[in-house]
Amino acid sequence: MRTTHAGRAARLAVGAAAAVALLAGCSASSGADEAAGRTDVNYALPANATPNWIVPLGIAGKLATHNSAIMRTLWEPLVAYDGSEGEVGRVATADLASDITFSDDGRSVTITLDEGRTWSDGEPVTSADVKFWFDLVRANTDVWASYSEGRMPDNVTDVATPDDKTVELTFDKVYNPEWLQASQLNLIVPLPAHAWAKTADDEEPDPALAETEKGAKAIFDYLVTQSEDLGTYETNPLWQTINGPYSLTGFSDAGQVELTRNEKYDGDDAASIDTVNLLPYTSTDAEVNAVRSGAVDYGYIPTTGLDAPEQYEQLGYAVEPWAGWSITYMPYNFNHPEMGPVYRQLYVRQALQQLVDQEQISDVIWKGAALPGYGPVPQNPESDFLSDEQKENPYPFDPEAAAALLADHGWTAGSDGVLECTAPGDGDDECGDGIEDGQQLAITILSQSGSAETDNMFAEIKSTFDQAGVAVSIESAPLNTVLSSIAPCTADQPDCDWELPFFGTAGSWYFGGYPSGERVFGTGAASNFGSYSDDEFDTLMLDSTESTDPSVMQAYSKYGAENLPVMWLPNPVYQVSVIKDGLEGTTQDPLASFHPQRWSWAG
Amino acid sequence: MTGLRRFATNRLAVVGAVALAILVLFAVLGPLVHPTEQVATDLGAANLPPGVDGHPLGTDALGYDNLGRLMVAGRVSLLVGVLAGALATVVGTLWGAVAGYVGGVVDAVMMRVVDAGIAIPAIFLLLVLSTIVRPTVGMMIVVLGLVSWLVPARLIRAEALSVRTRDYVVAARAMGATHSRTVLSHVIPNTVGTVVVNATFQVADAILLVAYISFLGMGVQPPTTDWGAMLNDGINYIYQGAWWLILPPGLAIVIVVCALNFVGDGLRDVVDVKGRTA
Repeated sequence: MRTTHAGRAARLAVGAAAAVALLAGCSASSGADEAAGRTDVNYALPANATPNWIVPLGIAGKLATHNSAIMRTLWEPLVAYDGSEGEVGRVATADLASDITFSDDGRSVTITLDEGRTWSDGEPVTSADVKFWFDLVRANTDVWASYSEGRMPDNVTDVATPDDKTVELTFDKVYNPEWLQASQLNLIVPLPAHAWAKTADDEEPDPALAETEKGAKAIFDYLVTQSEDLGTYETNPLWQTINGPYSLTGFSDAGQVELTRNEKYDGDDAASIDTVNLLPYTSTDAEVNAVRSGAVDYGYIPTTGLDAPEQYEQLGYAVEPWAGWSITYMPYNFNHPEMGPVYRQLYVRQALQQLVDQEQISDVIWKGAALPGYGPVPQNPESDFLSDEQKENPYPFDPEAAAALLADHGWTAGSDGVLECTAPGDGDDECGDGIEDGQQLAITILSQSGSAETDNMFAEIKSTFDQAGVAVSIESAPLNTVLSSIAPCTADQPDCDWELPFFGTAGSWYFGGYPSGERVFGTGAASNFGSYSDDEFDTLMLDSTESTDPSVMQAYSKYGAENLPVMWLPNPVYQVSVIKDGLEGTTQDPLASFHPQRWSWAG
Repeated sequence: MTGLRRFATNRLAVVGAVALAILVLFAVLGPLVHPTEQVATDLGAANLPPGVDGHPLGTDALGYDNLGRLMVAGRVSLLVGVLAGALATVVGTLWGAVAGYVGGVVDAVMMRVVDAGIAIPAIFLLLVLSTIVRPTVGMMIVVLGLVSWLVPARLIRAEALSVRTRDYVVAARAMGATHSRTVLSHVIPNTVGTVVVNATFQVADAILLVAYISFLGMGVQPPTTDWGAMLNDGINYIYQGAWWLILPPGLAIVIVVCALNFVGDGLRDVVDVKGRTA
């Protein structure tokens, strides 16, 4: 009997081992098996952030990186400047220019378009399409989100099109050519004038219409109106006239996007994958569940996943943090009716900055997937643009110093423990101009939702601020809601009631190769949400665009770090990516754009 | 057999009552035995496992002592649950008693309002509201109470339809009692058994609703927390093996809801005359 039992046990053990081995074998080979023959990729969009724009003429609140990335797959820019090949620089295969030559005096540039490039309807891409873009943007600088006074298109005094394939741009003065390519020429996206130069659905397009300011405004308004109609993206004929490697074949209001390889694409950046599905998720948790079920090929995980990457590697994913050339911050609304005068006081901003423990937040909450940032120049990797002052943090975490700074300016704790101004006036030991007696130091943060790290970061900030007598109320909303709620405003406008918005779970602002900040901090700039205005800072930004001397950028870096146009916060990686084994060509662009045309499945 | 004895014969009800009493004592008096900082964060002590540095149940991602947090979270969950359940019971009882007592068109209209309310999922209303305003504890009590009164209203209305035809009610009306006096003094007191039993389920439902919306990230604002919010925070660490962030609040919710249901069953035995032997 013993022998019989032992034999049966042995057979069971062998059978079990065989089954385990079989399962393990299936599991081990699943990545390669899945990759072979696949023609689609499922890409996860950032949590609680859905695409909501399509026309490559961004307006305020529509410049989210995923919107820009989708546009880039449909319409190629005149000059592509990104980090998709490992280093930030021009990617000639991904743009419409075959040659860019600056004149000897540095006042003009001649751009030759690629030969043989056509729109999807068969019409050639010409210099007139470049001029059409200039006409539209020049007449609509009040709404074009990339506008900054004195920059594109103000700095281009003449756009000449001597032939169909040549564009000559004349500048108002000599600029740093690197800055021009990285921050100005890369904004130009040739648009199909033959199809888009109209103001109503049933009109015949007339490119000459854009040559008048009135006509250009009407066309721009029409295109913006069409772009606001998310439900028609996949059927609107406007968005079918493309020249990029993909076409948009599916778009749901919930944010799911289907991109299909553009069979008529005739450039050098053709797609390998037939179908790319961009999938929306309401939270990181929901997305991680999809990753674990295998429904996502290229997604992300919370930073806590870095503690144990093997759990995803066992599922057939590679775990790769995606670092960005970016800064992260919360703009102060300097025009808020009550708190604007408070935020305009440098000492208040200094005190609040001293209450942010960036090192601990980066290490403990972000698990090292965010790095402290103290100023307007990206700090990782270090560059010649970075000043010593920014690098060394002029306002390290120091609650006692912050409390003393506020007390020295007439703020004392009220009965509820919240600081109140008890010395109104603009003297050295008074609260400051415009701050009334009894004004409480109570701030409201509007934070993007969907991220546990962001929630914990603000729980920590609230705790530290509350202990210092600064009352903090935190509201959260999806990214699109945050971005659409914080347009630059004046105190008399009813929707100027936001104070400190956070939209930086994946970094607040991504730069081109040249990190000048005129679009974010320049007076009147469309993305200068808080309406910060400082003549000296404006001058430094202007200088930084005209000189190749690194010390100019360093002066800008120093001034931004010391004068706090915004509240600087730890700069997170764009995401901690998980990439399915076998998916190739996924170089993670530090400019936070994704380039699905470069993706392919192994085998 | 007295009510207490009858209750005591239901062993699950007794277990439920004891568990409930322990949880209440844990939440209310626990901080006196195990005092912890539950307002200021302490990132230097974040994510500690149980037993380290005087934290019997470890710490969470912000450095809060998890055992202490379980206590303060329990206060919020139980407070919101009990008060929201009480509010729902009061509103539902009055609404159902009036509808059942008056009858006719008034009854039809009042009950169609109830039917319409029941057709809209409470969780949907709560989530919509949570996206508009970040709820406070007081607001959650009021809102949960106001979305939970519909079921008790139906139950009490059915009881009232029966009670209003009883002789003592007819006699009271014949002796000149007003409608309001009749409802408050005769109809409602004679439905109290149903009211009490249902109240326990209302409290359990309210605690679960609080847990739902907190688990979905729409609950009270930090540093205030409840068991559902703790569960939501802990779920991010489920794959790191941080069981102490998930299991305790999850168990607390399960225990309190089960306990309330057991107690409700016991109370039903006390007030239900059907099947009772002499």
